[in-house]
Amino acid sequence: MTAGASRQASRRRRPVAVAGFLVVQVVAAVFFVGDAVGDMIVDPTSSHSIFESLIAAALVLGVVFGGVELRRTLERMRTQEAALAVANGALAEVIRAQFADWGLTAAEEDVGFLALKGLDAAEIAEIRGSAQGTVRAQLTKVYAKAGVSNRAQFAAFFVEDLLGEALVPPDNRP
Amino acid sequence: MKTDMASRARTGPPDLWDPVVRITHWGLAVIVILNALITDGGSTLHVWLGWIGMALLLLRLVWGLLGPVEARFSAFPPGLRQAVSHLRALATGRRVGHYPSHNPAGALMIYAFWASLAVVTCTGLVLTGGATPMQVAADKAAVASGDWSALAREEADGGEDGGAFRKQVEEVHELVADLILILAVLHVAGVAVESRAMRRNLVAPMLAGLRRSRGK
Repeated sequence: MTAGASRQASRRRRPVAVAGFLVVQVVAAVFFVGDAVGDMIVDPTSSHSIFESLIAAALVLGVVFGGVELRRTLERMRTQEAALAVANGALAEVIRAQFADWGLTAAEEDVGFLALKGLDAAEIAEIRGSAQGTVRAQLTKVYAKAGVSNRAQFAAFFVEDLLGEALVPPDNRP
Repeated sequence: MKTDMASRARTGPPDLWDPVVRITHWGLAVIVILNALITDGGSTLHVWLGWIGMALLLLRLVWGLLGPVEARFSAFPPGLRQAVSHLRALATGRRVGHYPSHNPAGALMIYAFWASLAVVTCTGLVLTGGATPMQVAADKAAVASGDWSALAREEADGGEDGGAFRKQVEEVHELVADLILILAVLHVAGVAVESRAMRRNLVAPMLAGLRRSRGK
């Protein structure tokens, strides 16, 4: 959790560094352009003025490209974050669809979700304000409709899909 | 909980402004405070800071066209009517709407800031004859070492009725600088009021997104 958070933090710092560099470039470009314009007014035909103007123009172009590149980086980061959020929500959607498939009642769906989150019958009963016996009966119904015989199998039903190819031992991977 | 967070991010301002917005915001804030209250007008340092401020302002304006969606002008168009109705909602304690970027009143404040900063920068450039800080420093050094030709050049720039014109420009420069300070006070008050009304910290996204790193 903390490792993930710090990785995320360092990923966030990268565009900040790029932006800081961009700011320095812009400040430099403005000073250079100001100087070039001053020289141009004093003596527009000297090779010094012409050179300076060319360099100033190149600097401005470089800054613009740097800015566009930074925008792309920010957008890519945002897309990745959005994709992750969608993936997080997608699992819930998959489970909901499966519950509907099994024909669970609304109460059974709620109990099923809480069971998947790792709560035991007593805790579920407390949250739902019902008797433990009721919750146990509902859980049994859910397992029956899902064709599993206990909570572990019930959870495994959804985890199995997520594992995918990861069942291949890690050292056999290319 | 995750989806809740995601949907909130879509309807409210971002949890974290992009780095260009943040750097230009705080850079300009520091420069405004330094140049309005601390540095001497016309001093080399004052001109340096003014030029850096001009660069930051230019970058932010270009970013308003090139930047990510919420930083673009199109995300917070200036609208007096929307701003007034937003403020009225705030004053009467009604629920205020959610905006993907700045709220309409904040947007007006931003455009007012940019316009004033542009005026201060341009009048500053007129007052220094468009000289870069390096030239200003060189001229000052020349005068200090007894070469008065730089001073004569300055005089020629002003000349005749130029003296009166210069006075007027200087007047505008100082007046608008004061206006920026007033806007800044209103801005800080506005952020405090909006943060209360929206029940979210509006300062953190402009700093480092403390909301995120501190977790739920």
